[in-house]
Amino acid sequence: MALVEAEGVHVRFGDRVVLEEINLSVNEGELHGIMGPNGAGKTTFFNTLTGRVKPNRGRIRLDGADVAGLEPHAIARKGVARSFQIMTLFNDFTAQENVMVALPAFRARGFDMLRAVAGDSGLADEANEVLASVGLGAKSAISAKLLSYGERRALEIAVALAQRPRVLCLDEPTSGLGTDGTLRLAELIRSLKGKLTIVAVEHDMRFLFSLADRISVIHWGQVVARGTPRELQENPWVKRSNLGSFE
Amino acid sequence: MAATPGVPLISLQNLRKVYTRGLIARQQTFKLEADLTIDGPGIVGVVGPNGAGKTTLFEMMTGSNAPTSGRVLVAGTDIHRVKYAERDRLAIHYHQSYQVRRFRKLVPSAFLAPSPVERPVVHLFDEPQFNTQDGYIGFMLDFFRKLRAEGRLVFLCLHPTASYHLEILNEIAERFLFVAGGTVTKVPNFGSLIAEERMRAYLGPEMTRAAEALA
Repeated sequence: MALVEAEGVHVRFGDRVVLEEINLSVNEGELHGIMGPNGAGKTTFFNTLTGRVKPNRGRIRLDGADVAGLEPHAIARKGVARSFQIMTLFNDFTAQENVMVALPAFRARGFDMLRAVAGDSGLADEANEVLASVGLGAKSAISAKLLSYGERRALEIAVALAQRPRVLCLDEPTSGLGTDGTLRLAELIRSLKGKLTIVAVEHDMRFLFSLADRISVIHWGQVVARGTPRELQENPWVKRSNLGSFE
Repeated sequence: MAATPGVPLISLQNLRKVYTRGLIARQQTFKLEADLTIDGPGIVGVVGPNGAGKTTLFEMMTGSNAPTSGRVLVAGTDIHRVKYAERDRLAIHYHQSYQVRRFRKLVPSAFLAPSPVERPVVHLFDEPQFNTQDGYIGFMLDFFRKLRAEGRLVFLCLHPTASYHLEILNEIAERFLFVAGGTVTKVPNFGSLIAEERMRAYLGPEMTRAAEALA
């Protein structure tokens, strides 16, 4: 069953059309990859999905309810969490604190509460559990700024997971990562598969081909191809490309 | 589909664009003429030397550049008489990755007619960036086929600088427009295109041989 559905989503900034017409659906529990060349509209679609950009036309349904045009926090409250292409961590906070501030139990208490809850072992335990799930269990007391780039990516995902989302949106998760970092991140995302619905925007086709259940290819602001990685790899031009023999 | 049976998807009627230089002694710097009709859906390759007017032709077909004289009818509607904001509902123009929406607004939109259709009938792709390494070519070509299957008319303008560009044209285009010397000529297939002397001169000997091997 489709958990996320985009229907006829059209976005323009002034005279510039960024999304002509996006139609796609993401099933509950699947990892849906969105790929496309630079300037295809991937990030704008993501921003539309998470409420940062309001579509000029079209609908975005979450579990059947139209969320297009809602504010980002309202969409987040409905269970959509996201990571960003450019990281948005609190650099001076520890990994544990970064995760704690994203926990629903913490946010329920209001802001400026970090000091007050620093000794709250319930929240700390919950944060540590989330950190462990992304492989950062041993780094909980280290400041975000001292973590490696790959660890910061994982921490970003932990912050998103702390919100207990139904849909996790990852924007270019491999950006800036080297080969090793990408492999580790792929492992992490694979470990999350099936536990929640994941939508990943990524220009690295190999990464998506190895992880996604289904992929939508965006170009010219529209979905130009869709299918499972295997189906897409059947295309003779894909076979001829660098991706042809990739499993 | 929006198109009405019996009405050509595109009709260029005595279309003419002239650019001149100088205020008193006007000197013609560019001329392009086209008079042709394409009735039904299809995928049309558009080729010709740089500066011949391929992009100007596309701009006139999508209503972003007004002709000096003549008309462009898209599914029976003169696109230059449609409100600027609605011209992309008839014909849509992509230059590389981006949609072209720069209209020279000579007449206020209030005096222009609404588009009779909601979704574009003609799709023009001007020099899409094809790269054999990333595999996107296949998805782009499948997209052109999908548009055609939905009853639309697709134009693909390509400047063949590598032999795979010729492969793409041979694989996807059912017919061609050859733009050169100020005129637009309809060519029925890839073989006829390669046999055209002006096309061979434009391609040069090496690319001509590569094209002949495909034809």
